[in-house]
Amino acid sequence: MSTSTSLGVVQKFLSEYLNQTPKKLKIVDSYLIYILLTGILQFAYCCLVGTFPFNSFLSGFISTVASFVLAVCLRIQVNPENKLLFSGISPERAFADFIFAHLLLHLVVMNFIG
Amino acid sequence: MKTAVKLGLIVLSVLVPVYTQSSKDTLVLLDNLVIKDTHSRFFKNLQDSGYKLSFKMSDEAGLSLKKYGVWQYQHLIIFAPGTDEFGGDLSPETIAEFVDNGGNVLVSGSPGAGDAVRDLAAEFGLELDDPGSYVIDHINFSPTIDSGKHTSVIADPKNLIDAKPIVGTKISAPLLYEGSSLLLDPNNPLVLGILRASSSAYSYNPNKPVTDYPHTVGRNTVLIAGLQARNNARIVFTGSLEYFSDKLFTAPVQHKGKTVDKSGNEDLSKSIVQWVFKEQGVLRLSNVSHYKAGEKNPPSAYTITEDVVYSVVIEELVNGVWKGYTGTDIQLEFVRIDPFVRTYLKKVDGTGKYEAKFKIPDVYGVFQFKVEYQRKGYTFLNSATQVSVRPLQHTQYERFIPSAYPYYASAFSMMFGVAIFSCVFLHFRDKTKSE
Repeated sequence: MSTSTSLGVVQKFLSEYLNQTPKKLKIVDSYLIYILLTGILQFAYCCLVGTFPFNSFLSGFISTVASFVLAVCLRIQVNPENKLLFSGISPERAFADFIFAHLLLHLVVMNFIG
Repeated sequence: MKTAVKLGLIVLSVLVPVYTQSSKDTLVLLDNLVIKDTHSRFFKNLQDSGYKLSFKMSDEAGLSLKKYGVWQYQHLIIFAPGTDEFGGDLSPETIAEFVDNGGNVLVSGSPGAGDAVRDLAAEFGLELDDPGSYVIDHINFSPTIDSGKHTSVIADPKNLIDAKPIVGTKISAPLLYEGSSLLLDPNNPLVLGILRASSSAYSYNPNKPVTDYPHTVGRNTVLIAGLQARNNARIVFTGSLEYFSDKLFTAPVQHKGKTVDKSGNEDLSKSIVQWVFKEQGVLRLSNVSHYKAGEKNPPSAYTITEDVVYSVVIEELVNGVWKGYTGTDIQLEFVRIDPFVRTYLKKVDGTGKYEAKFKIPDVYGVFQFKVEYQRKGYTFLNSATQVSVRPLQHTQYERFIPSAYPYYASAFSMMFGVAIFSCVFLHFRDKTKSE
């Protein structure tokens, strides 16, 4: 039974994901992966070099983390399968919230990055 | 023309001492009027230097240093060792009050000293040896003056304290001494042993066989002691009234095979009088100023890691005129509870201006510029100027730090990513639906 091994679970997950996820969500997912990579790279750099301008490190890292969180929120709210959970929030409204939160985020990041 | 200039100079020379010196009123207490004659040279030297001496008997009824709250005298000389109790207002306590208010005192004890002088000595951290005990030295004594008991002791000028303001520079003749010794309080940090006896001296009653260990032996036998109080008033004590007498001033001395016509007593007494009565070794500190390097006025608060310049004027009283002090060991401390910076003050020019330049440490708080100069024989200089040092303002930190470029890049890339993503997301048309 290929589904009982962990490799089998992963393979089934990947094939279901690629077949059944709408393209819109896949766009969000690729954006999420991009944010994740930047965050990991940044953290690795900080571990190597040290935390000298600690405010800059925090600002950059939190920018990636917050962007990731906001994108995840957008994905959840835009997913048609969750329409019943978010009955009062249309996808357009979700995107508008996403952009508004990003504006605030980048304002704060620019101030704190020094 | 010449006479006019001469007259002008004479007038000026009279005026200058008046303007630069405080009063020279001196009260001299004697227990026997004959001292005026036996010590005539000493008193004449004083009067030639401009001191106004008032001779009084030490147990006179109307004696007083203060009248209606005003001090009548600037200096006090007590050549009355036999006194048991001072007359009038005077007592060890009132004399201590006199010193607390800046008065200077020169006191002479003797082997027959009474309670008054002994109590006075105790007031200043000194102790006269037991009644009847003399300083005895069987090796360094003067055979011409001595009565046979070796109590006329010779002290080598090398036993003088190493302080130029107190002893001057020119004492080369040996010194004669006949009297009791002084004990210094070992716990008193301000008391100075100006003249000590040789290593072969000791202090005991010459008429009794030595049965106990003498109170002072060898170099601990202090012949002349001094004290500079924390308010810079000065006191000198000696155990011998004969030290200042004409007899010892003019006596020839035979010491170590050499004969000297005149002992060094008179020269040393002149130096000591100049020191006690604040003519020599007097310093003053003025014109403290501090500013940022390159500016002239101090800011309301310094910032950390700034360059600061501190300057001060230190002057010395030389022959009645304030001249710039030449010292190489004056230190400046920048203190916030503990000193963070300690540096030497460097002389800038001949007028006594000293300057120090340093960088304020990377610590903020309330600091003090402290100059504390305490050297033997000189007045104590203590100056503290408080300044505040504040941390960097929000806009004074470094910007665009090279090691933070990756973080700047990631922040901007996030913004860029949002822009691209939102374009793609908004313009996305679900192709399967249309089909």
